[in-house]
Amino acid sequence: MKKVVGTSMLMSASCMAIAVALQLGVASSAHANDKLIELSKSKDNWVMPGRNYDSNNYSEDTQINTDNVKQLKHAWSFSTGQLHGHEGAPLVVDGIMYVHTSFPNKTFALDLNDPGHILWQHSPKQDPAARSVACCDLVNRGLAYWPGDGKIPALIIKTQLDGHLVALNAKTGEEYWKVENADIKVGQTETQAPYVVKDIAIVGSSGAELGVRGYTTAYNIKTGEMLWRKYATGPDNEVGIGDDFNSANPHYGQKGLGTATWEGDAWKIGGGTNWGWYAYDPAVNLIYYGSGNPAPWNETMRPGDNKWTMTIMARDADTGQLKFGYQKTPHDEWDFAGVNVMMLSEQKDKDGKARKLLTHPDRNGIVYTLDRENGDLISANKLDDTVNVFKTVDLKTGLPVRDPEYGTRMDHKATEVCPSAMGYHNQGHDSYDPTKQLFFMGINHICMDWEPFMLPYRAGQFFVGATLWMYPGPKGDRQNYLGLGQIKAYNAITGEYKWQHMERFSVWGGTLATAGNLVFYGTLDGFIKARNSDTGELLWKHKLPSGVIGYPMTYEHNGVQYIAIMSGVGGWPGVGLVFDLQDPTAGLGAVGAFKNLQNYTQMGGSVEVFSLDGKNPYDDVNVGEYSKG
Amino acid sequence: MKTIALPLVAGTVLAFAGLAGAMAPAALAYDGTHCKASGNCWEPKPGFPEKIAGSKYDPKHDPKELAKQGTSMKAAEERNKLRADNFKKTGKWVYDVSKIQ
Repeated sequence: MKKVVGTSMLMSASCMAIAVALQLGVASSAHANDKLIELSKSKDNWVMPGRNYDSNNYSEDTQINTDNVKQLKHAWSFSTGQLHGHEGAPLVVDGIMYVHTSFPNKTFALDLNDPGHILWQHSPKQDPAARSVACCDLVNRGLAYWPGDGKIPALIIKTQLDGHLVALNAKTGEEYWKVENADIKVGQTETQAPYVVKDIAIVGSSGAELGVRGYTTAYNIKTGEMLWRKYATGPDNEVGIGDDFNSANPHYGQKGLGTATWEGDAWKIGGGTNWGWYAYDPAVNLIYYGSGNPAPWNETMRPGDNKWTMTIMARDADTGQLKFGYQKTPHDEWDFAGVNVMMLSEQKDKDGKARKLLTHPDRNGIVYTLDRENGDLISANKLDDTVNVFKTVDLKTGLPVRDPEYGTRMDHKATEVCPSAMGYHNQGHDSYDPTKQLFFMGINHICMDWEPFMLPYRAGQFFVGATLWMYPGPKGDRQNYLGLGQIKAYNAITGEYKWQHMERFSVWGGTLATAGNLVFYGTLDGFIKARNSDTGELLWKHKLPSGVIGYPMTYEHNGVQYIAIMSGVGGWPGVGLVFDLQDPTAGLGAVGAFKNLQNYTQMGGSVEVFSLDGKNPYDDVNVGEYSKG
Repeated sequence: MKTIALPLVAGTVLAFAGLAGAMAPAALAYDGTHCKASGNCWEPKPGFPEKIAGSKYDPKHDPKELAKQGTSMKAAEERNKLRADNFKKTGKWVYDVSKIQ
């Protein structure tokens, strides 16, 4: 019998037994890391966003490969019942698929032996007012999994748009704990996939478009207790800056800048929220993520470099203290929120020195590669040669060299600014193939005009202060508003693009790379595609019910490799479609750029699963049949 | 070739500055590379003030509004602590803090 679990259903009697265990020993010596790492190595599992702590969306599975990918057929699908945009990807652990949805943030557990059977579903009842403070559609980016410790059951960690972080029993869907991590009354929301490191759940928040001061919080997964909270702006102790911060690169800035680079108390409403992706290096116990844009978007209202918004953060997982922080876009003028994916790799730099690296395609049009142990900047290259806001990035100083022509300011309408506020790369979770040393990146090819205006700050209200017009970049079709995206293969050491192709719309959701010499991705107009990862040749595609803003994932079940992807258009690029908006400046400028999207796809959330020849559990026609008793 | 719209001519900048009130010496063009200190490289754009307080760009933030986020988060942290403490004590997660003894 399926279980439907609502928020009102709190703790079951079984929790009393757990309580005893808790009282006897809250701290277990065994951390989740080892088990999660072990689980992530199995082709059967996809245990976290990015697949592993390297966050490389790479599978060593070769069952589906360049020779047979044309035989890939639809295997099964699952409707989430939700219409709005579906970012991220499901998790698969030990034969169960965990599916998240857009608001109201349902969670489903599906038995992969019989995916037509919902094992349990969690249907939170949320304050509908949360929808009115969501920036860009009602998306959610996914779930986290904690494998349990023998005393406490495995848990699914999820965020709700209304600001809650919730732990669910992975076997039953019952709520294990539920904390308030954001307050919609002051503009804070939750759209991010939480992240599990050791026995810690890490989560940021959304809301920089409402002047939310960014913060990152860690909770003890076993107890729901807050372990640390650090901010993106403000005094050093609140940001997590100590004596050794940026010791290897003092020119990035060190103490006092979280207030000194703001005028007055503007840092209190200064943005820098993090709602993107994490990576983790257990060897140095550092988590990596990016802080977002400063608030408001109107740069004239916040003089200064606005530290530490727009920063690649490396924090100690246990204490939250910053080891290093590299601000990519000081004094942002374009909403280049720096929250994008962080992918870890081990490669030799140009001098032949083996390095542990972090690669991050930023919204500002630059793809950065840093030494992830000390923050050294290794490379910083344009995501496309049409980037014009920066001329270059000085690798010695770390500073971008701006082209003042494309700066923004009050009493001026900036035109032909590339990238647009959406960035040449947004929230898509990309992939890295370590055997080829190639990153596969979904790209936006969108530019904009930008005109700021003044506005007061009122807690819980939008605090943007700019009007935007977006349109295809120089390589697109500006007459027809198409040619808004690209797919590229990038070498972070040489800085070269091995191949690249234009797409009709943004490749918003990200990519999956496999050892089958393939890269998979979804498109906003509703295709899942596979390309030869060496050459970029398009080998296979399939039309999905709705457009894609999430990334593909893969798993094996009973020896069969499957490719899965969430279908469900929306998010920032789909905001005009989902809310039926016409004004080209609405949706923070997205409506104009994507005005033709409605001619290619419509709303509807689902998980779509593929395999060679469509092999699936129902090939045995008796599977899933009704039988009494 | 595109023309640069910024008022680059020094005389123009000075005239603008005179109109707008107390202005810092304006950079000819803000490119982000002229740093006062490590990590502190912002400069006002030509014609714009070093400080916006008192200028026509002063957002005149209401301190009460600026304090709301901090107040809200502190209260939520206290409620969460009550919940977690109660959970450790009883093994039961009670969300409604009014029901926690």
